[in-house]
Amino acid sequence: MNGTVGVLNVGAGDTKLSFDKSNPAERIRAARIVKDMLRRGYALLIEVERDGRKVFTRATDFDEEVCEYIIADFDPLGLERQPETPEPPQPLVTLREETPHASQQETPPQEPPPPAPRRGRPPGKRVPAEGARAVAVARTAGG
Amino acid sequence: MSGLRNGLRRVATDRGDWAGIPMPLEGERLVVEPGYPNAALFAAMGGPTDEDRLPEDPVLVGAKVRNTFRSAKKRSHVHVFELASGRIEWGITPDIHGADKLLRTLGCSDAWGIEQEQAALQLLGTMVRHRQFKQYLLTGSFIETSARSGVTYLFRRLRPTVAMSVSKGRMRILCALCLHPIAYYAGSWAGAMCPTDDVVAHLALMRGDEPMLWRRSNQHPAWDSAAGLS
Repeated sequence: MNGTVGVLNVGAGDTKLSFDKSNPAERIRAARIVKDMLRRGYALLIEVERDGRKVFTRATDFDEEVCEYIIADFDPLGLERQPETPEPPQPLVTLREETPHASQQETPPQEPPPPAPRRGRPPGKRVPAEGARAVAVARTAGG
Repeated sequence: MSGLRNGLRRVATDRGDWAGIPMPLEGERLVVEPGYPNAALFAAMGGPTDEDRLPEDPVLVGAKVRNTFRSAKKRSHVHVFELASGRIEWGITPDIHGADKLLRTLGCSDAWGIEQEQAALQLLGTMVRHRQFKQYLLTGSFIETSARSGVTYLFRRLRPTVAMSVSKGRMRILCALCLHPIAYYAGSWAGAMCPTDDVVAHLALMRGDEPMLWRRSNQHPAWDSAAGLS
C-alpha cells in the first residue's frame, strides 16, 4: 500500500502526493512538500488505526529523512487506556505477637520513590508515511 | 474561466502555493486568510468599483463604527456609529431574506470547475460510509457524530456546518461553524475552493482536530442568517 496525501486545492480540487518506495523522486518531492505545508500552517490529518478502528489525528511534524509523520501521543477516544494495576491486599488483622517491639523493629527496605511525573508536551508517535492516508487543509479564512 | 483556472494552477505549483491561488472574480470581494501569500493583493482585486458604489452621505463622512450586533426582533444587523461631530447615531441593515446571497453564490460558481468538484467528490466518497455519501449526493448534506465530544455535526454543501447536541432528551443547536480554506467571496456562501472541498475540510478537521475546527471557524448562532438555517 502506498501512502497518499490529498491536498485540497483551489485549481485542482484535490491533488495527490504519493509516498511510493518504487519511485524515489516522487517520494522525496512528497516529503519536501509535506514538510513545507506544515511549516506554512497547513493542518495535516492522518488516518491511523487504533484498537481496530480508523481514526483521524493531526500531524504536528514530519521527519523527511525517514518519511514519518509525528502525531501527538494522546488518546482522545480512550481506546488505549491501560487497566489500572490493583494494589496488593492488605492484612485485616495484625496479631500482637507478630508486632515486634519498637526497639526491635527492623527498618523495612525502602522502595525507590516513584519517578517524577513527566512535564511538558508528551512525546509524539511516529506513523510511517508509506502506509498512511492523509488530508491536507490549508489555513482557513473563517466565513 | 477554465483557461484562467489552469493558468493559476500552474503558477501556484511553481510558487509552492500547494493549495492553489484563489480566483478573483469581477464584482466579488475575496476575503483571504491574512497569512496567505499576497493576501492583501487578492483582497483588493474584484469587489465593487467606485462607479458601483452609492454616493456617500455627507453626514457620514468621518464617522466611525462603534458597534455592530444582530437584532432578532428586527431581523436586521444594527450598526451604532459616532459622527464626526461626536453625536452617536444608529442604523440597520435589513436581513429579510437570503436571495441576494444566493444569487451572488450562483455568480461565484464561475470560480469552480466540474473537474475540481468531481475530484473532491471522489475524495469524500472514500472518507464516509455509503449511506452518508448517498445522502450528500441526493440532499447536499449528511450527519456524523464525534466519538470524542458527542457533538453531532450536520455537514452541508455551501452552508455552514451545524453543531448539535442532545440535552435532556432533546437535540439542540449549539451553533453553525463557518470556515473556508484560503478564502471566500464576501456576501455569498461560496468559498475559493469548490463546495465539496469545503465539506471535506470540515469533516477532516472535525475527525482529526475538533478543537481546531471550533477555533478556526466563525461561530454563528442558529437565529443569525449567517448560519444558513432561516
